[in-house]
Amino acid sequence: MNIAASILEIAVIGLGIAVMLADLWLPREKKIWLGYAAAAGLALILFGSFSMSGNPATLAFGDMYILDAFALFFKRFFLIAAILVMIVSIEYSPKFQTGKGEYFTLVLFALAGMMFSASANHFALLFVSMELMTITFYVLTSFLRNQLLSLEAGIKYLILGALSSGFLVYGIALVYGTTSTMDFATLREKSALMTDNPLLLVGLLMIIGGLGFKIAAFPFQFWAPDVYQGSPSSTTAFLAVGSKAAGFALLMRLLFVAVPEITLQWEKLLMVIAGITILYGNLCALPQRNLKRLLGYSSIANAGYLMMGIAAMSASGSTAILYYLYSYMFTVIAAFLIIILVMKHTGAEDIVHLAKLHERAPGLAGVMTLSMVSLAGIPPLAGFFGKFLLFEAVIEQATVQSSYYLLAAVAIVGVVISLYYYFGVIRTIYWGKQQMIPEDIQISPASKAALWVCSVVIIYLGIMPERLMQAATAAVESLKF
Amino acid sequence: MIGLEHYLIVSAILFGLGLMGVVMRSNLIVIYMSLELMLNAANLALVSFSRFTNTVDGQVMVFFVITVAAAEVAVGLALIVALYRKRQISEVDELTSLKL
Repeated sequence: MNIAASILEIAVIGLGIAVMLADLWLPREKKIWLGYAAAAGLALILFGSFSMSGNPATLAFGDMYILDAFALFFKRFFLIAAILVMIVSIEYSPKFQTGKGEYFTLVLFALAGMMFSASANHFALLFVSMELMTITFYVLTSFLRNQLLSLEAGIKYLILGALSSGFLVYGIALVYGTTSTMDFATLREKSALMTDNPLLLVGLLMIIGGLGFKIAAFPFQFWAPDVYQGSPSSTTAFLAVGSKAAGFALLMRLLFVAVPEITLQWEKLLMVIAGITILYGNLCALPQRNLKRLLGYSSIANAGYLMMGIAAMSASGSTAILYYLYSYMFTVIAAFLIIILVMKHTGAEDIVHLAKLHERAPGLAGVMTLSMVSLAGIPPLAGFFGKFLLFEAVIEQATVQSSYYLLAAVAIVGVVISLYYYFGVIRTIYWGKQQMIPEDIQISPASKAALWVCSVVIIYLGIMPERLMQAATAAVESLKF
Repeated sequence: MIGLEHYLIVSAILFGLGLMGVVMRSNLIVIYMSLELMLNAANLALVSFSRFTNTVDGQVMVFFVITVAAAEVAVGLALIVALYRKRQISEVDELTSLKL
């Protein structure tokens, strides 16, 4: 047993339990400090993670758990995301009538699930970590339990999430039945010898379906717009960033470490999924008037771009995914923080409420513009460089197989379509007609800091991508391409 | 002689029934029962594979699945009850407030 390998997760769970206990004794008006305490604790854990090294890889818990550079990269990603989400949650928490402390605790437990999933080296840990995350999200999505929209979002996420875990478990059973192992390292050897066993292939497809639900890739994307719109905005931000990244971490580990030989046969399938997801997300986003729903469809489209990196099946494709996830995290969290700040008292999050934002709060209007421009992929911002890397990885493969050119073309069409709706948001901010009396916008120091961090990182990653690129390249090395 | 294939056929039938229930029924409780049926079909497959390949991983996995399913039911039923209290509905057809 090598418990020290999972010290980061243990620290996060310990922090979660501490927050839960402190919640019992704190008076109601002071519960907001639990959020700040949790964010500070996470920052400490993040700081501590730099004393760990994933090289060479450490195995723990009967080889179920692996701590390598790839896992560590994702753990840091999740920690940064959770710190920002915690600040977003604090900003949103006045809307919760009860249970602020529980909300912060649940965010921490979902984070623990994500961090475990980055280290999954066995189907049991894959399943349990994914469910820890998903079940926590059932509660987080329906946290405004006095609002029908939030409950409806929770129920929809619940039914489709449980359906996908049914497929996942059945898939695991089939893969286990054909190879009689659940360990990824053993599976790598055994699956190479049985690449045309139909039962194994069906099982793997079912598992990919279960993971595809997490990342909201076609044809498992139906839940995303509804759930994104109905849930509390802070949950939506975490769902868009954390849940998606955890899905990709598991998918990459499964496809490239556990069954690389079979993945090679599936390039067409992966390309088709990527292409349809991009087109579906972007086309459906066009007529949206609700900003959260728009970001829901945009998150489907982004899942498609990220799938391009998987379809490329190369080290450069995976590096691009890791880079893109970072750029996506900062842009999306900035956008959701602004949604919360600007639309505090309006019931729905319609885009028209952003009208003339540059007169009320020029700073917020600037950050929103920055994040929309980055999502659209305009140079020199982070989103552009992420897309550039993904396209580069796909074009690289196109020299071997020409159908990759088609995928790149589809993706470019998607990017062009997306310009329309992202710039629609910017147009509303600066030239939209105001329909109601504007409210005062108050920004807490923590949110201001988070917005500064997000916007600086969006620009920094676009101009100077080298350091993150190095980290991503080092992380991808442990995927054994 | 009852072999592996018999167990697998039963498990596949159960999984199919569960899937049909989820897709075709509209009552939330029935949908939820069907989801549990799907998980248990997978459990049956895991146990029978475990028995016929002489490894214990499958049986251990079943314990995890049962535990997770219990957690899922606890949260799920609470959600369904909360929805019913709010609007006295338990049919999915009526969950239509989130649309374009």
